Amino acid sequence: MSGGEALSWLLVVPLLAAIATLLAPGRWRGWGSLAALPLLWLAFTPVLAAFLHQGTLTTPLGGWSPPLGIALIGDGLALGLVGLTLGVFSLCALFAAADPDPEDHSHLWPLAWFLIAALNGIWLSGDVFNLYVGLELLGLAAVGLVALKGSAEALAAAMRYLLAALLGSLAYLIGVALLYAAAGSLALADLAQLDGGDTTVRVALALMAVGLMLKTALFPLHGWLPAAHGGALPAVSALLSALVVKASFIILLRLWLALDADPLAVVAAQAIGLLGAGAVFWGGWMAWRQARLKYLVAYSTVAQIGYLFLFFPLITGTGTDAARLAWDGTLLMLFAHALAKAGMFLAAGNLVRAVGSAQIADLAGVGRFRPLSLLSFGIAGVSIMGLPPSGGFTAKWLLLQSALASGQWPWLIVLMGGGLLSAVYVFKVLRHAFVEGPTRDTFRSPPTAAELAALTLALSSLVLGVAAHGLLALMRPDALSAVLEGAG
Amino acid sequence: MSRVIVAAIASLIITIALALAVLERPTPTLSLPNLASTAITPGEAGVLHPITAVLLEFRSIDTLLEIAVLLVAVVVALALREAQPDGADRMGLDNPLLHAVVKLLLPLMLLVAAYLLWAGSTRPGGAFQAGAVLAGCGVLLRLAGTSLHGLERPRWLQGGRVLGLLVFVSVGIPPMLAGRAFLDYPADLAGGLILLIEAALTLSIALALLSLFRLAPPQSDSPAFPDRRKRRRA
Repeated sequence: MSGGEALSWLLVVPLLAAIATLLAPGRWRGWGSLAALPLLWLAFTPVLAAFLHQGTLTTPLGGWSPPLGIALIGDGLALGLVGLTLGVFSLCALFAAADPDPEDHSHLWPLAWFLIAALNGIWLSGDVFNLYVGLELLGLAAVGLVALKGSAEALAAAMRYLLAALLGSLAYLIGVALLYAAAGSLALADLAQLDGGDTTVRVALALMAVGLMLKTALFPLHGWLPAAHGGALPAVSALLSALVVKASFIILLRLWLALDADPLAVVAAQAIGLLGAGAVFWGGWMAWRQARLKYLVAYSTVAQIGYLFLFFPLITGTGTDAARLAWDGTLLMLFAHALAKAGMFLAAGNLVRAVGSAQIADLAGVGRFRPLSLLSFGIAGVSIMGLPPSGGFTAKWLLLQSALASGQWPWLIVLMGGGLLSAVYVFKVLRHAFVEGPTRDTFRSPPTAAELAALTLALSSLVLGVAAHGLLALMRPDALSAVLEGAG
Repeated sequence: MSRVIVAAIASLIITIALALAVLERPTPTLSLPNLASTAITPGEAGVLHPITAVLLEFRSIDTLLEIAVLLVAVVVALALREAQPDGADRMGLDNPLLHAVVKLLLPLMLLVAAYLLWAGSTRPGGAFQAGAVLAGCGVLLRLAGTSLHGLERPRWLQGGRVLGLLVFVSVGIPPMLAGRAFLDYPADLAGGLILLIEAALTLSIALALLSLFRLAPPQSDSPAFPDRRKRRRA
């Protein structure tokens, strides 16, 4: 497996861009970052080409192979997620750079580039301690982005987020120490050799799972999320909801698959699935009750995260078919939610700017004056609700099939009921937007680039439903064989 | 009250689980310390001390990302300070005794920092320790009310804070261009390059820690030290 050296550029380019934006004067940072985006894609293209040509890529950083060193591993899952990160970040950066806001948010750029470096590091790393360092960088950059607004509310949200993130990191770190004590290695590949039924491994995995769930904001550990995601700048909210919460989920997924040989795992997986179900209903209910637009979207993230965690009951101790469907469905759900939610947050940002108020009730009449922003919100809503032909629909369909194949029909109620609830809160926004009211007769225009960024993200979540096959085939091969072995 | 009970029960469960996990742990088949010491004996790693080798050779990417974490902390502190500008800076004691002590101790502290940096390749020490001592010098100077010229220029300061990460990444790139892995420095240059990285890191770590100290908002509720500089000028 050679040719993996190019993987490192996916870390190096964002780090160099972060350094460059730190040294540049504030007013150059936004447009300079846009100029650096093509470099990131330029780094990604040869990696993707090499992967399609020869399969999984690896590169031992510093020339030291695991277990002594750390390897970057570019498997299908990792490269798919890198592509998603690049796509979402490019459009969010376009949105932020087009922002005519007189307030100076130039510190956003170095933090965002560090965030991208951390995300790429997490997708590619094959070492549990390196993942911890990645989580630290990711968490601190994300907290900083939330705090950027500087208002008392933003600071309180950021502080809460920081404490939750630190607690989660600490739990994860204890797990890493225990696994190292048991295996004598930190490489995920070596940890897979451990006996999953061992007490030390069980405790380690339990602690890491709780820490990562806290970082992913799985119900009932979601308390920090609505204020952090709902109160941040629109581009920041989009990045956080689309990508940052997914990082800890992916780490948990990889750990689960590596250490899955425990008879207790079935019980644990069902428990995690129940929390996911709780998230779907509680998040949906709370989203409907919100009076502020961006908080509604933030609670919708709490709900949608719940679907991802149905992965665990559907893949643990079920048959090959069910496991394959669950894998495909969960990853597609992750992608569809990332695109749709980023689009929705950007569209919500545009709508809030247009009416000059964060309240949903003040949206009256916006349907006539800002149809494009509302259209983006609606299209993203289609995927969130899971209506055909969106990515959200296909993902739910796959999860549904998986639940049926493994005979776990109660999860059907979650998938269906969750969809209905999300329809309720999405239509709540549309209902207010279509009111023909005399309440407001001046609307501020968001920049065209910002409207187009939201629309592109929303449309791609829609197109994903019909174009999912290629993506899923790309992410399946290597990772799934390990899954099927475990599911046996 | 119920929160306290829940917290107590949770702590108890975690303590018992951790105790069980530690007591029942299996014997690992791999031993990284042995692997590390065999790797550094022939001098292949460019440094002789295992901890420095782990930090800057075997797991150098971890160190690189940790430096980025420190930098992010400073960026956040800067952003928050700009968002909430406050009144005049009240820090600094114009105390002759403090000045005399600083004058005596400062050269010694700089020497300790330089020694720690140099010692890192053969015994415990290195950039983090040296940087922390250097930052301590800065804090002491600050408390004594002495201002250093370079530290008052935001651009220089920013450049110094970024330098460590910039040097680290830049040293890692040429091997990639030559078709090797990122950070895979050639064996014959490794010792010198690591010292270069460590020197840059020392400066950046010191400036980052000092910046965090200086960017912390003054405590409005601590009138113990009235601002002597201002009073004297008035």
